Amino acid sequence: MNKLNSILKSLSSLRLTVVLLALSMVLILAGTLAQTEQGVWMVVERYFRSLYVAIPFQLFVPTKIVRIPGVFPFPGGLTLGVLLFVNLLAAHAVRFTLSWKRAGMIATHAGVLLLLVGEFVTGAFAKEGNMTIAEGESANYIEDTRSCELAVIDTSDPGDDLVVVVPARMLGQAGGDAITNGMLPFSVRVVEWMPNSRMLGPMQASKGQLAKATAGVGTQVAAAPVAVATGVDGADIDIPAAYVELKRGDASLGTYLVTPRINVPQTVDVGGKRYEIALRFERGYRPYTVKLIDFKHDRFVGTETARNFSSLVRLTDPSERVDREVLISMNNPLRYAGETFYQASFAPDDSGTVLQVVRNPGWLLPYVSCALVALGLLVHFGSRLISSVRRKVS
Amino acid sequence: MKNLPRWFPAIVLICVVAFVVSIFARGIGAGDLGGGSSGAMPLEGLARIPVSAGGRTKPLDTYARNELLRMSGKQTYEGDGGSRPAIEWLLELWTKPEAAAERRVFRIDHPDVRSLLALTDATRTRFSWSEIAPKLEEIFRQAQLASEISRKKQDPFQKQITDLYGKLSEYVQVQNLREPYTVAPLAAGEEWAPLLGTDPHAKPLDTESALALRGILASYALGDAADCTRRVAEYHAVLDAKLPSAGAASAFEVVMSRCEPFYNASILYLVAFLLGCVAMLVSPMSPDRWKPSLLRSALVLIAVAFAIQTFGLASRIYLQGRPPVTNLYSSAVFIGWACVPLALVGEWFSRIGVLSMAASLIGFATLVVAHNLSASGDTMEMMQAVLDSNFWLATHVVVVTIGYSATYLAGFIAVFYVVGGVFTKLLRGEAMKALPKMVYGVICFAAFASFVGTVLGGIWADQSWGRFWGWDPKENGAALIVVWNLLILHARWGGMIRDRGVAALAIAGNIVTSWSWFGTNMLGVGLHSYGFMDSAVFALVTFCLVQLALVACALVPTARWRSLAAAS
Repeated sequence: MNKLNSILKSLSSLRLTVVLLALSMVLILAGTLAQTEQGVWMVVERYFRSLYVAIPFQLFVPTKIVRIPGVFPFPGGLTLGVLLFVNLLAAHAVRFTLSWKRAGMIATHAGVLLLLVGEFVTGAFAKEGNMTIAEGESANYIEDTRSCELAVIDTSDPGDDLVVVVPARMLGQAGGDAITNGMLPFSVRVVEWMPNSRMLGPMQASKGQLAKATAGVGTQVAAAPVAVATGVDGADIDIPAAYVELKRGDASLGTYLVTPRINVPQTVDVGGKRYEIALRFERGYRPYTVKLIDFKHDRFVGTETARNFSSLVRLTDPSERVDREVLISMNNPLRYAGETFYQASFAPDDSGTVLQVVRNPGWLLPYVSCALVALGLLVHFGSRLISSVRRKVS
Repeated sequence: MKNLPRWFPAIVLICVVAFVVSIFARGIGAGDLGGGSSGAMPLEGLARIPVSAGGRTKPLDTYARNELLRMSGKQTYEGDGGSRPAIEWLLELWTKPEAAAERRVFRIDHPDVRSLLALTDATRTRFSWSEIAPKLEEIFRQAQLASEISRKKQDPFQKQITDLYGKLSEYVQVQNLREPYTVAPLAAGEEWAPLLGTDPHAKPLDTESALALRGILASYALGDAADCTRRVAEYHAVLDAKLPSAGAASAFEVVMSRCEPFYNASILYLVAFLLGCVAMLVSPMSPDRWKPSLLRSALVLIAVAFAIQTFGLASRIYLQGRPPVTNLYSSAVFIGWACVPLALVGEWFSRIGVLSMAASLIGFATLVVAHNLSASGDTMEMMQAVLDSNFWLATHVVVVTIGYSATYLAGFIAVFYVVGGVFTKLLRGEAMKALPKMVYGVICFAAFASFVGTVLGGIWADQSWGRFWGWDPKENGAALIVVWNLLILHARWGGMIRDRGVAALAIAGNIVTSWSWFGTNMLGVGLHSYGFMDSAVFALVTFCLVQLALVACALVPTARWRSLAAAS
């Protein structure tokens, strides 16, 4: 029992709190600086939702001044968060007394605990995706813009498409080896993989670039690699591209350029059957359908600055007997089936909308947390302020 | 030493009031539209003509000031017979372009750009259109070359040549009346439009507003002051009848820019700070006589400066119809504004004068920072839809900025404590005890405001795009301030640090706050890619080094503190 008490005591120490807070600051600083070279999602996974992270020394010194190789290990956000959580719980377990004088602090710390839980729930369970819909079209799937898949679609059944997908992760790691699978009608060899890319039109691309593909759209346009989007750019979407050679046995069916930027179907004929191939953002299908009726984008007069944008959509879900029109605009999201649809962006020529679709079971926690902390601190500091004002006045 | 007269603060008050009255008198100044009888052009009436630029309706005066500021770095120019207001330059550009081409309005600093343009006069940094024009093709070529490099990888030469090219194109746009949108929507179905479109063969606009404006410019070009005055007055009458809101706001904005509330407030803050310094310096000679009187005078100045700054902030809120913090510029103004009352509450507690000195210094410093941030043009620019008014956003920016303010205030009080304590014998007895208490109290408040403000920002983000926290640089910056304040408080509660330690950490808090406020913005322009060339980066690094030196001072053992030695 004594042992347990002494463990609790050391876990509850304020020294530990201060050390953890200091470590958190180093982690947050490193995680911010890392975003000058990496995308925000990569950093979140590596720094803030990990058990530990290897931080390069170079982050803290501009390369112009001196080059420093090497990394140092550091506790990740998950470790620090759990330790702070335990530290806080232990502190209240050891020193718990329910009195008005401590009520403020208890409420504040309960709020902080909730905030930590909220971030954990978000990291573990929240799902974010995009729904891109052109005017007049519908969508019944959500795209995860952080990961791609190579889809091979058998369209021979007029009722249903049969889709086999290869995750982009496998394409990136394949090197020169062919990817084979019993469900694929052909093997896929990755000739070139670009984690982020830009398109070169027929006039921009060189002959050599156009010669990389032997079939499909890639004979007219080309893709070139660009640096991955970084957190400080504010852009968090990488659009990969790949040149893939399709083979049946030893016979080549041609080298194709695939990228989400190509939105016309590219077909391959194999053994009398026609397949479509596409590199596209990973899709999660939904039982409901969203049809874009009208997209509006107002600008301030004489500028390109968006004043407002909104999407008028028709939401249908036969199984739930839902069929209604909804106007989604900035700060006025649609909440449906545990998901929330935000007006996020739009197609370049205003011909379509991009909705951000979020499912986060913990979305309410920060609201409760904020209220608890604000109230708790007001009570705690407020009562002290009042007593010192009283002293001052008397 | 003789006592200062009791009425000294009253004299100060009278002087300050006279100063304020003179400012507003200058602002309202030639409030009538006239001037024609004396043969002068009706500049006042012309200045008030509303136009639309950057999506905002503003007086022609503001547009001219912003354009000139962007091109030359100043709101005035060297005209015939000395410094002239921007509106005259704009009108000259429209009516006598060949004369305007001789005005030195393009600021070029980079030596390589100057030598490229064969601008050999090393004594000045501003050059005229006709000096630059022979090299337009070369500028275009260089700008094309630079445009293939992303902005953050460009070297200073490429940046300046790109900027210069942008300014020259804009100059042409303005000269050809494609910018700003001057033609007002006076009838149903009309929108703000430029007087000349991009198509030279198109039929010129013949709306009521376009015709009136053409008449005004024609009479201005002919130098017919009487006719111009009449036409301007007529146009204002039409505007008042058909577009009353724009007219009133426009007139008010002209007055406001001429009053320069933030500039004048910064002067008063500076004078108050100097008075405080004098009070501190004379206090060993006559603690009970000069000091209280001088401090009271400083308080009067701070109060008036605060009132003027409040007027400026309120005017911006009225003109924009938005919360007071919309961009980096307004955040600087607001941080100073929020610090002052906080510090005055502290002054009420401690009554040792240091807090009002901190208030005046922060008030002054933040307004200087704001002034340096305003060079990019209109400080009331329109915002992207996502930043549009929203309850959570409005409360977030206000509360979190107050949190930044309080963190700075704690840091600055700690600076006074450390510098005064270590190097001088001025802080005796009660001051040495009161100051650390103030630092602690302000940190408590800062922790509260920065935490709540940051979480409110998360709630806004959740409302707008469903992501409470995204770990992006700006959010992380705010989080750092919160955690830093919490760290100081917990270290003190745990007995790990006392007065001196709190002061040292509070000073380091200045670095944390500055990093979050500016540093995260600088990441975007690539701190890693081209070194310390930007003057803002240089200023930030210098500031941080000074703070580090002050932290080192705080670590001097208490036995060596002169104030403590003097007390014992």
